[in-house]
Amino acid sequence: MQLVINTYGSYLHRDKGCFELKSDGEKTKVSTKKVDSILITTGASISTDAIKLALDNNIEIQFLDQHGRSVGKVWHSKLGSTTYIRRRQLEITETEEGTELVKEWILRKIDNCIEHLNDLGLRRSEEKKDYVNDLVQEIKDLKNKLKRTTGMIDEVRNSLMGYEGNIGRKYFAGLSYLIPERYEFSGRSFRPAEDEFNSLLNYGYGVLYSKVEKACIIAGLDPYVGILHTDDYNKKSFVFDVIEPYRHHIDRIVMKLFSRKKVRKSYFDEIHGGVTLNEEGKKLLIKNLNEYFDKRIRYDGRDIKINDSIQYDLHKIANRLIEK
Amino acid sequence: MLVWFVYDIVEDRPRRKIGDKAIELGLQRVQKSVFLGNVEETTADELLLYSEELINPDEDSVYMFPMCQEDFKKIEILGEAFNKAMANDELKTMFL
Repeated sequence: MQLVINTYGSYLHRDKGCFELKSDGEKTKVSTKKVDSILITTGASISTDAIKLALDNNIEIQFLDQHGRSVGKVWHSKLGSTTYIRRRQLEITETEEGTELVKEWILRKIDNCIEHLNDLGLRRSEEKKDYVNDLVQEIKDLKNKLKRTTGMIDEVRNSLMGYEGNIGRKYFAGLSYLIPERYEFSGRSFRPAEDEFNSLLNYGYGVLYSKVEKACIIAGLDPYVGILHTDDYNKKSFVFDVIEPYRHHIDRIVMKLFSRKKVRKSYFDEIHGGVTLNEEGKKLLIKNLNEYFDKRIRYDGRDIKINDSIQYDLHKIANRLIEK
Repeated sequence: MLVWFVYDIVEDRPRRKIGDKAIELGLQRVQKSVFLGNVEETTADELLLYSEELINPDEDSVYMFPMCQEDFKKIEILGEAFNKAMANDELKTMFL
């Protein structure tokens, strides 16, 4: 279970072996056995004993800003694995093997986008089905071009990112076409989001970034050593590289909220140049997000949680790096 | 494993300690001396061993009843209800 502290002025402290939360004069006790992570989205206080209790029980405490991005987290300071993985990660960026790895991730992302569009196209009018089919065909053509691109990453970076960008624009145009008219949007927008759709998506991606980063660290991969995404000051380039196949999870959650008419205008606040998700809106999204990531899927012949599939994938990547 | 943990303990101190331990281990208090939760088998054992040390076997009693999911669905509740989803580990997010 994820504990989300979203009441301003709450106080989290330790009571014997339990967490105890005081908010609005009410006390709630929560066992450490039931909590996997603590998310703090608003002004609250935590005692150092509560932090230690969380660390002792492998529970991470995470702080989110108003856009859903992780501002920081409190977690034990272990590396998680061997530094040899990080060494290999640096080496591979200089070889064609690095390009192949990145291409695999992008291709998986594209397949997931296509699958999502096809799923959305089911049970729609003929007109909409035709639209989706045409769009999927265009995306597949671009995918084939991307597939044929080979070489060192420095030589092909621009074309790979170009194809990926084009596919992304087509995909989002498709999503915009398929959501209820009132919520149609014109492309992606960030900081601030210009519309409700982008606002939900940005917050969701923010949460996804921290999931992927955590999985990288546990697998022993360096979040800052990217292949496709270049180095920059404090840039989590590897997270940007490896997050692509998982974005569709957030897209699916957000699209479902719209199609089931769960999204209300009152979940957003107007800000200069756009809209931002407010407490009520965050509550809706986080609840649906946690339910979604707790669902089970088939993975290598086993039933595992969608949440854990990210971790398994990253362990596989790490193992591949050190096998040869 | 879904379990009901029920006790009748005369002395205040062991009663309070055992109640605290049950909550610490992830059970939910559904009545003054009745707890319910979905816990690991080892956790249930831990609670029983802890209780055994503290109770007076001549006048106290502690019971642990496992319950299957099918029967849990058939539970009938009158009056003030406990949080069924929470007791059964179905709650994925808790907002506070």
